[in-house]
Amino acid sequence: MGMTTTDERAVAVIMVGGPTKGTRFRPLSLNIPKPLFPLAGQPMVHHPISACKRIPNLVQIYLVGFYEEREFALYVSSISNELRVPVRYLKEDKPHGSAGGLYNFRDLIMEDNPSHIFLLNCDVCCSFPLPEMLEAHKRYGGMGTILVIKVSPDTAYQFGELVADANTNELLHYTEKPETFVSDRINCGVYVFTPEIFTAIQGVSTQRKDRANLRRQSSFEALQSATRSLPAEFVRLDQDILSPLAGKKQLYTYETMDFWEQIKTPGMSLKCSGLYLSLFRYTSPRLLTEGDGTKSATIIGDVYIHPSAKVHPTAKIGPNVSISANARVGAGVRLINCIILDDVEIKENAVVIHSIVGWKCSIGRWSRVQAEGDHNAKLGVTILGEAVNVEDEVVVINCIVLPNKTLNVSVQQEIIL
Amino acid sequence: MKALILVGGFGTRLRPLTLSFPKPLVDFANKPMILHQIEALKATGVTEVVLAISYQPEVMLNFLKDFESKLGIKITCSQETEPLGTAGPLALARDILADKSGEPFFVLNSDVISEYPLKEMIAFHKSHRGEASMLVTKVDEPSKYGVVVTEESTGKVERYVEKPKIFVGNKINAGIYLLNPSVLDRIELKPTSIEKEIFPKIVSENQLYAMVLPGYWMDIGQPKDYITGLRLYLDSLRMKSPSMLASGAHIIGNVLVDESAEISDGCLIGPDVAIGPGCVIESGVRLSQSTIMRGVRIKEHACISSSIIGWHSTVGRWARVENMTILGEGVHVCDEIYSNGGVVLPHKEIKASILKPEIIM
Repeated sequence: MGMTTTDERAVAVIMVGGPTKGTRFRPLSLNIPKPLFPLAGQPMVHHPISACKRIPNLVQIYLVGFYEEREFALYVSSISNELRVPVRYLKEDKPHGSAGGLYNFRDLIMEDNPSHIFLLNCDVCCSFPLPEMLEAHKRYGGMGTILVIKVSPDTAYQFGELVADANTNELLHYTEKPETFVSDRINCGVYVFTPEIFTAIQGVSTQRKDRANLRRQSSFEALQSATRSLPAEFVRLDQDILSPLAGKKQLYTYETMDFWEQIKTPGMSLKCSGLYLSLFRYTSPRLLTEGDGTKSATIIGDVYIHPSAKVHPTAKIGPNVSISANARVGAGVRLINCIILDDVEIKENAVVIHSIVGWKCSIGRWSRVQAEGDHNAKLGVTILGEAVNVEDEVVVINCIVLPNKTLNVSVQQEIIL
Repeated sequence: MKALILVGGFGTRLRPLTLSFPKPLVDFANKPMILHQIEALKATGVTEVVLAISYQPEVMLNFLKDFESKLGIKITCSQETEPLGTAGPLALARDILADKSGEPFFVLNSDVISEYPLKEMIAFHKSHRGEASMLVTKVDEPSKYGVVVTEESTGKVERYVEKPKIFVGNKINAGIYLLNPSVLDRIELKPTSIEKEIFPKIVSENQLYAMVLPGYWMDIGQPKDYITGLRLYLDSLRMKSPSMLASGAHIIGNVLVDESAEISDGCLIGPDVAIGPGCVIESGVRLSQSTIMRGVRIKEHACISSSIIGWHSTVGRWARVENMTILGEGVHVCDEIYSNGGVVLPHKEIKASILKPEIIM
């Protein structure tokens, strides 16, 4: 009968953060912007970007952050080529808040006249079920749909807790990091909006400007409201948009049953690298390596090895290991739950467990680099910064070592500057 | 005359300060460490200084252009692409050091501060006519260093022992040398240790002479020694140019304050404090045995002792910072916080007290 609407274009915006904000990702962030740190062999931001590629009629991806443009120039150029979708990095000139940032670039975003705008946070690790979210969003007919996940009640307080209607999935209530228990469903930091979101954000700005003007006339108003110190164009998604609009039939939720984590620390990046490796087994199994110890190394579980890396056939690798470009893994080496970055040399019979070995490190013969493996503990995953040299037979347990150090004696439970 | 300053590598012992600047540019007594040495060399008549570095030449070169024009001395960087030890860099800079004049050249270690009696050293070198002269200093724990045993009357070095296990003598190699160009013929362009390979040979040929350093000497390559070093430096300044030190009712002992720093009422500053350019010290602040670097703001009623506060940091009201706390660049210590030996990486905000020495990343 009639034509189906074909002009339903989508634009995705991925918030990547900035350098001074991410001190929790040290020491790895001393050498590389967090969004470019490799998980499962690909830069962190690559995972949401390739998920966006599955959105039907996706025409543009914007990366928004506070890093200098040159830090992302090479990456966006190569990923645009590789995935055949335009990816562009936009630098925020000043903090606008999580929603204000989106609003700040609305002209660019609306250039392609998208019917839907995805907003993702780069440091979220999940399966990004974006096409499914879009379908659900269209059914709901609201202004926005939020990806949510159920977590254990005792951890929920760390996030934005939501309450949704069991039948309609409408967002009824939203509160950010509450002190008392509200709900075990939390905000995953992945959203899809219609362009009405810009009107909503502008509304918040205007309202705040009006209140500021009013306040000059009323000293009682001046005593109230935590937002009195916020500039008008600083709009936070959680407190200023989601909370107020909950229960007004504008926002809905879509629940994911897959994994979800935030990648705030190096320890978590190791865990998330493993989650993405296990995801590869379903989505892109050809990226994973196999081997049985005859012609190539013995591989256990999910392992990624960059094609240029050299691994001796007598080595045993896995589970949950990522080996980056030009790394060399010698005879008899055992690697378990670790990330081995570019140009690392691991000499014969060394053992690396629950660790991240930085670019250009050298791990000596029979040396042992390991940790307890608690991804949340400060020293639960051993991190070796760039160009750290661990000499033969040295044991390094539960340590963080800053770049360019040489370890010639064994050490435990220490941060080495 | 020419000089070479061995700057070396990453300065990891002075982290977190060296995470923001290469070590030679870290300030000591309100001046980049290397400037102390360059000024001493210039005063002796050195016309060209080579900095032997292995790291971050771009950052260095920008600063050096500044010093070059202000001081009227030529400064170049000689960058090693692989580690060359303590002698190799001399071979690398051979073309500059072995010029046609045949004059001896100085070699200094960038971590060392002292009174730099370089004119006396030149006279000493001329008098003995040996190939090499070295300054030595007396220390309490010689086994950490290279120990030098000399003939009392001439200063001729009879033995040179690196980190001796038993007591051999208490004069150690102060890391300041004056060498004839012929020494360069002994050094190949490969990783070589001047202490372990070159000097012992020169000693065996009776060509090395040592002069005892009058005055203070300190290796300020790590925070504890940096703080002690400031005390020694300011003591020496008191004797040589007391007008450079601050004075007033609010000053105790030796205190150096940059002219652009502001100090409010009710403060008590000293002893052994250096306050850098653009610092703001609000009222009621107590500072002792500490270095406050460029652009720092110390808020009211704070109390800081035996610590180093890195560039552009702020210390909150009523904060107490002590016991070798080292704040990197741009650290913000909130009001009322207590830090006992915290070592804080750049751009952190300290919202919780640090009760025992710990590294905050």
